[in-house]
Amino acid sequence: MAVPPDLRLLRLLQLASPTLPVGAYAYSGGLEHAVSAGWVTDEDSAREWIRGVMMRGLSTLDVPVLRRLHAAWSSEREDEACQWSAFLLACRESAELRAEDQHLGTAMARLLADLGIETARPWAGHAHCTWAAMFSLAAYCWRIEAEAMQQAYLWSWCENQVAAAIKLVPLGQTAGQRILHACSEAIVVGIRHAATLTDDDLGHGLPGLALGSALHETQYSRLFRS
Amino acid sequence: MHAVAKDTCWEARISLGFRLDAGRSMLSERSHQGPLRIQRPFYPEGPGVCHVYLLHPPGGVVCSDRLDIHIHVDERAHGLLTTPGAGKFYRSTARRCARQHQHLRLERSASLEWLPQENIFYEGTRCELLTRVDLQRGSRFIGWEINCLGRPASGETFRKGRLRQRFELWRDGTPLWLERNLFDESAVLNAAWGLQGQPVAATLVCTPADRPLVDSVRNGIHAGADGLFAATLADDVLVCRYLGRNGQAARACLTAAWQCLRPAVLGRPASPPRIWNT
Repeated sequence: MAVPPDLRLLRLLQLASPTLPVGAYAYSGGLEHAVSAGWVTDEDSAREWIRGVMMRGLSTLDVPVLRRLHAAWSSEREDEACQWSAFLLACRESAELRAEDQHLGTAMARLLADLGIETARPWAGHAHCTWAAMFSLAAYCWRIEAEAMQQAYLWSWCENQVAAAIKLVPLGQTAGQRILHACSEAIVVGIRHAATLTDDDLGHGLPGLALGSALHETQYSRLFRS
Repeated sequence: MHAVAKDTCWEARISLGFRLDAGRSMLSERSHQGPLRIQRPFYPEGPGVCHVYLLHPPGGVVCSDRLDIHIHVDERAHGLLTTPGAGKFYRSTARRCARQHQHLRLERSASLEWLPQENIFYEGTRCELLTRVDLQRGSRFIGWEINCLGRPASGETFRKGRLRQRFELWRDGTPLWLERNLFDESAVLNAAWGLQGQPVAATLVCTPADRPLVDSVRNGIHAGADGLFAATLADDVLVCRYLGRNGQAARACLTAAWQCLRPAVLGRPASPPRIWNT
């Protein structure tokens, strides 16, 4: 698929946009329970939660797996992409986190098929379809480089978490921007760290997040879905 | 046994196989090297389930010890394994980390219960504890790992050390559920998303399971004031987690979950092995 260089940045912006209709805004990724349990209470604790989950969690799992997925798509090894997607899903700590990943992945597969990426179409019905698998497929088809893809993935995750924190804690819009500004610097460090990991190092569990997201599944009053 | 690394390091290995023979789950294979042993298998609930106590006579893992445990359960056989005491991983001065690898393999329609007592990781340990369970379609498994960092009862917190811990379920070669922890000198020990400053993290997994079974565990089991307990469903794997202050409370929680799950998943009532009371 030919993508002129001056179109790539625009494709990247579309990929990272919160208006991408995959439903990411409906999930808090454990943050809603963290707020209701009093683990996250203000701007500082929200920033530490988001940054910590990103550095310890996503940077040792999603980010290095994205690079491997991108490499698999680039060399047309779809079976390898499938294996990495299954690995990612198996590392998700709760029913809620698995459902989020599968819903986003399936919605993205349909959207990409609509945008002309035929490879995505059968993934809408695939048991191991994940957000990262479809995100990396789009990046490959639109000739977005691996590092820019990883940055966009973490950026859109952070933006979604900050939007959830603004609603839940609650925080002001300016506080939200301060968190995003701080997280951007962490994104660069996280991607650099991810590049040093071997296959055997991938995936560090976050016990507090695992418990929080499982407890959220039965939380009585809530804004975000399981 | 004192908490300092010894000069000698053990390499030990044990392989056990369970096979169903005329309605009796027999210990059909049993070989070992070095100090890993079992007591004579016994049948407190009849011939269908073979109970085995796994022993590690040195009483703890030090410096660059290597322990390998292999369990194989043949079609329709049913084994239950536990240990007579806590597993201990002492402070290490060695460069190479100590490791204990546990590989449990179940054939179709095989059943295994893996219920070791808690693992205690002394401050300053450098070790890895990897448990991999390979299932086939129709295998039934209930197992737990209870990990205590430091010895809170003796006032020892885990500020230094490195523990790489994994608990993984695979089915027909595909990853089903993977828990991969790294507890080291970093934010993970105290952060809200990490261990929250708590010394005990325990996980029980059970398969096959469904949503109603998760609900019955949720309704019946609570961690008490000092800890958190949650149950969830990952594919058809029920996962229970405890995070809190003491190993006894963790074991009480997971034992209650096991008692709730065993009749539903293995068709047998659960009475705790007597060795747990000693």
